Amino acid sequence: MAATKTLAHVNVPAAQTWNYLRINDISFEVPVPTTKGEVLARLPRLFDAVETGVGAEAASWIVSASGDSRYVEVKAGTHRAEPIVIDIDAATGDVRDTGVLVREGAEATVVVAAHGHADEPSTSASLLRIVAERDAVVHLVEIVALGKGAQHLEGVGIDAADGALIEVRQYALGGDKVAVGICTNLAGRSARLVHDMRYIASGSEQLDVNHLARQRGRNTRSEIVTSGILADSAKKTMRETIDLIHGAKGATGNEIETVLVTGDNIVNKTLPTILCDEDDVAGNHGASIGSVSPEQLGYLADRGISTTEAEALFARAIFDDAVIHAPEAISRAAALSRAEEVLGSEIARDVAEGLGLVTDGEDA
Amino acid sequence: MSETPERKRSEVADVDRSLYDFVMPEEGYERYDDGLTPDIVRAISAKKDEPQWMLDLRLKALDTFHEMRMADNWGPDTSGLDMDHISTYVSPKTKQARNWDEVPEDIKTTFERLGIPEAERESLAGVGAQYDSEIVYHNMREEVAEQGVIYSTIEDALHDPKWEPVVHQYFGTLIPMRDHKFAALHYAVWSGGSFVYVPEGVSLSYPLQSYFRLNASGAGQFEHTLIIVEPGADLHFIEGCSAPKYYEANLHAGAVELFVKDHAHLRYSTIENWSKNMFNLNTKRATVGADAKMEWVSGSFGSHVSYLYPTTILAGARSSCEFTGITFAGATQDLDTGCKVILNGADTTASVDTKSISKDGGVNTFRSSVVIGRKADRARATVSCSSLMLDDISRSDTIPAMDVRNATASVGHEATIGRISDDTILYLMSRGCSEAEARTMVVNGFANPVSKELPLEYAVEMNNLIKLEMEGAIG
Amino acid sequence: MPDTLLSIQGLSAGTEDTPILHNINLSVDAGQTHVLMGPNGAGKSTLGHVIMGDPTFQVTSGSITFDGNDITELSPDKRSLAGIFLSYQAPVEVPGVPLYSFLRTICQMRPELKTTARKFRQRVADICKQLEMDDSFLTRELNVGFSGGEKKKIEMLQLLLLRPKLAILDETDSGLDVDALAIVSRGIEAYRQECDGALLIITHNTRILERLDVDRTHVMVRGNLVGAGDAALIDEIDANGFGRFEAALAAKGGAN
Repeated sequence: MAATKTLAHVNVPAAQTWNYLRINDISFEVPVPTTKGEVLARLPRLFDAVETGVGAEAASWIVSASGDSRYVEVKAGTHRAEPIVIDIDAATGDVRDTGVLVREGAEATVVVAAHGHADEPSTSASLLRIVAERDAVVHLVEIVALGKGAQHLEGVGIDAADGALIEVRQYALGGDKVAVGICTNLAGRSARLVHDMRYIASGSEQLDVNHLARQRGRNTRSEIVTSGILADSAKKTMRETIDLIHGAKGATGNEIETVLVTGDNIVNKTLPTILCDEDDVAGNHGASIGSVSPEQLGYLADRGISTTEAEALFARAIFDDAVIHAPEAISRAAALSRAEEVLGSEIARDVAEGLGLVTDGEDA
Repeated sequence: MSETPERKRSEVADVDRSLYDFVMPEEGYERYDDGLTPDIVRAISAKKDEPQWMLDLRLKALDTFHEMRMADNWGPDTSGLDMDHISTYVSPKTKQARNWDEVPEDIKTTFERLGIPEAERESLAGVGAQYDSEIVYHNMREEVAEQGVIYSTIEDALHDPKWEPVVHQYFGTLIPMRDHKFAALHYAVWSGGSFVYVPEGVSLSYPLQSYFRLNASGAGQFEHTLIIVEPGADLHFIEGCSAPKYYEANLHAGAVELFVKDHAHLRYSTIENWSKNMFNLNTKRATVGADAKMEWVSGSFGSHVSYLYPTTILAGARSSCEFTGITFAGATQDLDTGCKVILNGADTTASVDTKSISKDGGVNTFRSSVVIGRKADRARATVSCSSLMLDDISRSDTIPAMDVRNATASVGHEATIGRISDDTILYLMSRGCSEAEARTMVVNGFANPVSKELPLEYAVEMNNLIKLEMEGAIG
Repeated sequence: MPDTLLSIQGLSAGTEDTPILHNINLSVDAGQTHVLMGPNGAGKSTLGHVIMGDPTFQVTSGSITFDGNDITELSPDKRSLAGIFLSYQAPVEVPGVPLYSFLRTICQMRPELKTTARKFRQRVADICKQLEMDDSFLTRELNVGFSGGEKKKIEMLQLLLLRPKLAILDETDSGLDVDALAIVSRGIEAYRQECDGALLIITHNTRILERLDVDRTHVMVRGNLVGAGDAALIDEIDANGFGRFEAALAAKGGAN
């Protein structure tokens, strides 16, 4: 066995609360990096200042464990059609460190796809830092579709300058122990974040999420919507923070969370925080946690759908959504193969066929 | 040691505060040395002629206090609180009275200015009044006593062979001394407070009230309130607190333990207006039996630093809890308030509705936790909090945690933070209200859901406090 | 002109970056009824809000005189106390403030209306009756959860309670249904009879004017007052629209 070390405080929210609730962080046992101190390529210093959602301790481990880094620059005013793909295979314990600079007025799509499963417990990780200059548009699609035995750490940090638009689609579809932490720093005037997350956790999976929107610029906007399903004895912790920083006049931040609980032994923790240090702002949060409502079930029953089928329907909908929004082959394949594990091959094929993926034989 | 009774007042805005902000001399009082030693704890216990078990509990609590640390990753700064400079026991040299005429003149004047005797005559079933470390007045209407209701100090109950075992059975069982550092401190040096026992099936038509006044400077108040509401009984208990302002830090670390039995109902209302040098580290907790109901109404206006989260444990099936609270943080205040609800019984319901107002650099944190246990089938909880920012130098944070472990439970949560809209101010101004009046009107309206839960005279007091806080809101 | 109540001279105003009103001259004598008409977006509502003192708009030149005093720099509350009333198309909701408390507050701050609570209740009850308003409205929160028609009644109730010297009724959006229209008409009628105040009605809905004796009609196009006439002008606009006025403004070289 390789030596391991403990990352004690991963996914720490901007404001903490009672420690006995065990909601302030999550700890990870990770392998000690073998390429100690020998980083092959360092990202430009620009990225050092980018705060990520997983926290400094985890971020620095990922940087040293990856031993290498990848830097992508998208030139000003250009639209990069081909997505920047970060491909993470659990089977080989991939750890990636990536920096993307999207220059003024440019547009780019970044995909993080974590997939596969290992016979032995594996640890994979990704650290992605994005700097979006003035009026840049960034589409980020994260798909975590891991199988049994996989633990995964995924940190994202985004700096958005004046008028930049950050669109995030995040899918947590599986993995024994998964932490995803994303911090968006809306530093510039009128910078915007539109963040949509879907997740499903089943079996004894543990999903830990940290969403942090720092709103520094005037008239910044953040819209964070998460919805997910907790089945069996899955555990989930969701920390969502809107931080309305002094000076962010005219800023608005909205977060909405919906959780559908179908498992009898779940643990569902939520910490939806609004921090406000400015008066001319508006912050809103709404959450609803529960099973499928009797009204919904009644309506579906009238259409011939049982409770179990209804729950399956909601689960399938998450995979449909992931596959539809996966912009390229690797992420799409990741979502589909995980769909097969969770929903069974019959429904998974139906998902694929429904999108014309199978009949066309199209492979992106 | 004594304070000058006459204080110079030059600022106009200060005058109204005189309702709460006046000092009585401390001359001739019994005041124990500052700091915390086993000797002081023994002295307090000896003075109260306590049973051995209570002294043992105190000494154990003192060790626990020294051993525990405040969490360093959340909450307002308490570094301004130096226990070496806080006297844990200050007592006026007087016996407890049952008649206001027997209360020493200066203390009587204090409570008269706070309107306590008047409220007692008009609308209360009983009153307890604590001055510094000891209860100086305790009385209850005869017809209430005839129903078997007990309303006394815990010290008196401990000296009554009938009630000593009851106190022993309940005291310290709901709030463990390890709950947090200042809970441990409380158990080490507690003094004063109330013991209330409402027998099965008895409904009190008027509230009981305890008023806590901390007059001494650089002192602490550590009252313990123990209320037992037996099955089917019904009680409304009101708690008021205030203190004059000093430059030295004062400390309030009381504990409130509420036992609400099956089918019983308890409403616990608090209007807290500690002075702005007070560290308010109070702990309140209720356990609620089957089909019983616990209601909290809480208005927090005072103190420099507050950590205050009344906790409700819904143990029995179909029990319910309502929490209505408002916190107003102005200059120099860092108020961390909220509540905790633990839903353990099936079909339990909890509803939390809080408001907070931040102004003049005040810091408000709404902190809550809703925990739904494995066995709480069909439990339902809703949490709603709204925060109003009155200027851009203040701060308002909302940190509500939820932990749900039952698939059939449902939780709804909503939070909003914002300021008074320009449209609203313009509308009210176009009908002739000045900007200041318009703002006060909106803030009072914002607080209305809380004030309407209070008995009339307390609602009036709350509106006055808001008006007081709003004065000078405009340049 | 001793009877001049409101006199606007050479008024230009707008928001920080957009000029809206251009060199407006308008005067209303005490007790008169004026109508301000114009196509959507002409700036009619803005004029109403500028007269009230809405800080959203800045006056860049000109002056507003009311009752002999220059009020150009006064805050809205001072203008209200001076006797100007602006009815809102969409009254703002103020949660937690019961309607009754609000009405009592705004009346007590006016020396001419100050009265005992008993008499005040009676007055409110009388007006409610007149407007066919349910008493239960009074305990509800100000404008919260009321229908459009109900809100309109509350505005008329305030109008009749406050007895302003000048009432500006902003009915720009023709969202008024038949009921609301009847309410406003009844309110106006009662105001004319009992208070003998002046009226400036902003509308492009001529039905509201059918039962009124209009002294003067003004037409606004793109922030300019481009025409004025007596009541007959209303019928003409009803028949022909604003085409003639728009053309005239364009011929003059547009709206700046």
